[in-house]
Amino acid sequence: MFNIPIGLRAKVVILSLFLLCLPWLGYEYVWEMEKYLRHGQEKTLEGTTQALATALHERPKLFNHQASFLSQVEKGRDLYAYPLSGPIQLDGKLIDWQQYQHRMINYSSEHVIFNRDENQPVDINFTHMVGKYGGYLYGFFEVHDKQLVYRSKNSLRVDKNDHLIIATQAPDGLFKRYIVANMQDGWLSAFELPQDPTLSMPVTPEIRIQGQWVATKDGYNIEFRMPLSMVGSKLGFAIYNVDDVKTRTVNTIIGTSAIDSVDHLGTVLVPSPEIENIIKGMSHNSSRIWVVDNHGRVLAKSGDIRASNNVWSSSLTETENRSAWSQFKSDHLLPLYYKILTKPPQDFVDSLQDSTELSGSHIQQALDGKRGSTWRLTPDNKAVVLAAASPIWIDDKVMGAVIAEETTHGIRTLRNRALEKLFNVILTIMSMGTLALFIFASSISSRIRKLRDQSEQAIDSQGRVKQQIVPSKTRDEIGDLSRSFASIVGRLGQYTHYLENMSSRLSHELRTPVAVVRSSLEHLSLQTLEPASEKYVARAQEGVSRLHLILNNLSEATRLEASLSHVEQSDFSLQQVVSGCMQGYQYTYPDNEFAVDINDSSMSMHGVPEYIAQLMDKLINNAIEFSTEDPIEVSLKLTGKTAKLTVKNRGPLLPFDMSEQIFESMVSIRPQGVQAKPHLGLGLYIARLITEFHQGSIRAQNLTDDSGVEFYLEFPVTESK
Amino acid sequence: MKRIAIVEDEVAIRENYKELLQQQGYNVQGYANRPAAMLAFNARLPDLAIIDIGLENEIDGGFTLCQSLRSMSSSLPIIFLTARDSDFDTVCGLRLGADDYLSKDVSFPHLIARIAALFRRSELIGAATVEDNLIEHGSLTIDGNRIQVYWDQQPIELTVTEFWMVHAMAKHPGHVRSRQDLMQEAKIFVDDSTITSHVKRIRKKFISADKDFNCIDTVYGMGYRWDSVS
Repeated sequence: MFNIPIGLRAKVVILSLFLLCLPWLGYEYVWEMEKYLRHGQEKTLEGTTQALATALHERPKLFNHQASFLSQVEKGRDLYAYPLSGPIQLDGKLIDWQQYQHRMINYSSEHVIFNRDENQPVDINFTHMVGKYGGYLYGFFEVHDKQLVYRSKNSLRVDKNDHLIIATQAPDGLFKRYIVANMQDGWLSAFELPQDPTLSMPVTPEIRIQGQWVATKDGYNIEFRMPLSMVGSKLGFAIYNVDDVKTRTVNTIIGTSAIDSVDHLGTVLVPSPEIENIIKGMSHNSSRIWVVDNHGRVLAKSGDIRASNNVWSSSLTETENRSAWSQFKSDHLLPLYYKILTKPPQDFVDSLQDSTELSGSHIQQALDGKRGSTWRLTPDNKAVVLAAASPIWIDDKVMGAVIAEETTHGIRTLRNRALEKLFNVILTIMSMGTLALFIFASSISSRIRKLRDQSEQAIDSQGRVKQQIVPSKTRDEIGDLSRSFASIVGRLGQYTHYLENMSSRLSHELRTPVAVVRSSLEHLSLQTLEPASEKYVARAQEGVSRLHLILNNLSEATRLEASLSHVEQSDFSLQQVVSGCMQGYQYTYPDNEFAVDINDSSMSMHGVPEYIAQLMDKLINNAIEFSTEDPIEVSLKLTGKTAKLTVKNRGPLLPFDMSEQIFESMVSIRPQGVQAKPHLGLGLYIARLITEFHQGSIRAQNLTDDSGVEFYLEFPVTESK
Repeated sequence: MKRIAIVEDEVAIRENYKELLQQQGYNVQGYANRPAAMLAFNARLPDLAIIDIGLENEIDGGFTLCQSLRSMSSSLPIIFLTARDSDFDTVCGLRLGADDYLSKDVSFPHLIARIAALFRRSELIGAATVEDNLIEHGSLTIDGNRIQVYWDQQPIELTVTEFWMVHAMAKHPGHVRSRQDLMQEAKIFVDDSTITSHVKRIRKKFISADKDFNCIDTVYGMGYRWDSVS
């Protein structure tokens, strides 16, 4: 068994640590709840997408001029007019495009439409993107071209230089081509090319295409805009590169798609305003909603995922009352909780912020005609986004999907609130429980300690009952224990009382027969007897007086104990008492020599001087009895607040292990021989009683040179002058 | 002829004392218990009563008897003669109005002397003062014939034992008298602590008459001294 010295209180407190399981249980429970909530959110979101999809079903108008009917789209060829967040300054510098960097596509050798010399590597490339803002299609080309060749000022031809061709199928179905060819940096010079794609003349200026042409150190930039009304659902761009100023022949053509016929053109997807209008109605919804075509390209989008704390959190707005409790909660508890919990961050990286194409298993599912939903972590692991998708049907064909996205912040906030409340309750319960247990344990341990103290005080070091234990009235096990202790001590007390009174009763009982013998002997001695009888009478009388002395000694200690308990105490000078006694002894024992060394300070004490004198009697008697060689040394010194009294005599040593026992009652270590006086071994016991009555201590030890024995006493002194 | 009553339950002791006192010329009646003694005392009071404390089945029968006797007569000399020698019993007995308290192992001569002293005192109360046994010392006057002590002409009620102790100390004022001396003077044989408690009681009696009394000096380890320097 372990035997660790831990108190009851500590044990109970340790046991109460099991209460710490409560928060864990609660936490688990809340997690379960969160799972259900998430499931619910999933279903809700799917419902939302379905409702929205319902609004979009069977409305081919929304889709028919899009590229939705293509079996597949090709990145780079099929363009996407990205909705821009603000107008673009047409200055040829590309600074305001920086934020859309990830949307830019680099066109190089794999987009070559024409290369005059097949073996010549293509040495130009361009970076391009288009966007849509306020009814205009914006776009830019950052062309890397070692040799920029402008249109010559004195030529009517616009195609014998570096130029840009824009080809589109206009909304009215016509195939239109435009050329941008500048003579110098600055405002664009744009012209419409003839219908026939083989012809490049004549051209008519087209002022609706606006923008800047700026030469850079490794090529040139073109930044342009054109009204969306010019652009249909098909669009292609091509950069014609001319390197030789003399011949001015086109070396390379790189483009988004071939631009010689409508069929070869790539598509352009301009997010449809009609869909946006429909979705706008849904934008009061708290989720972000996308509509994608069957290629996953975004047709419309509304809502902001950051603001969308969704339905769950709307019910959580708490009225802020600045009570002391809420103050305490927000100052102390919440920081503690949020060491464990995580607050849903208000900013996280949303990878889909500006997506033009969405993908994911839920969209795949939706485009296959089923509803689906997925969970995903944002790239910075800060938020979880739930996405659900429903298909949009047109003529039994899936033409697109509605996707709704929400963060789980609402649920997480809800969960956090729930956990906060739970933690509050649990903390309260735990602290109250622990406190209650602690108080309970304290009361139990204090009762047990009280009982222990009582039982320790009940019996002194000699095993005598000093005082009774007050039996407790409490009706429990400790009360039982206390009662049984009380009865044990009571019975023990009766027995020790019987034993203690034994000697006095014995002496009392013996006194009467002794008195009978004595008085009878006195009668005898008063009569004239024969000398022979006289001798016996004298012997008998001697025996009787010895018996009498024994009886006196027997009762002396008991009487002293009895009188100690109700004796009058007074202030006296220890020094006076001891020196007075020593003077007396020098008269009383003229045969012995005393070496006295007493301090001058008075050593004031509170007690009974007569008892101190009695103590001195016992010590000196004892010393004289064992002394084999004079002098008997007595010294009284004062150290601080302690008076030190030593009595030394030369003579036989104390037996081993007897230095403590000689102070017990009825212990005598005199050699068993003919003794002049009867000896009961009570002298030193009385000395100890008196010393302890004066809060002092007494011990006996052999002198260091083994020439005798020293008694060493210490008394506390109240004051010393 | 003086009549002495002995109340003692131990036959042998009663008879021994009875014979001794009869030899001394007293008329002695012995009683074994309280009811018998009370019956006789109600009929006629003795001139002196010697009482044991424990009487047959009454542990403190002697105390009760002493009280009853005191209520019958305030001048009747009462001596406790008992085996019980604790301070407590001594004090009790003397408080109840006994004149003396002797241990059963007192020797015959002592006992006879004490009885004689008590008789002498009760005889001389109110009698003309014989001027040949007076000790005067400051405020203290000791009349050895009457066994009476006066302080500032006020009589101090002392027991015979106490009287002899005062007498022993005041005979030679300024001299230290050891406890042994006091015992011999008072004709008692007890241990030192009993002497100490006797001296304390004497002091208290004087102090109740005069609260500034401080003539009895304790000389530790040696004894006591009557100090006239006040």
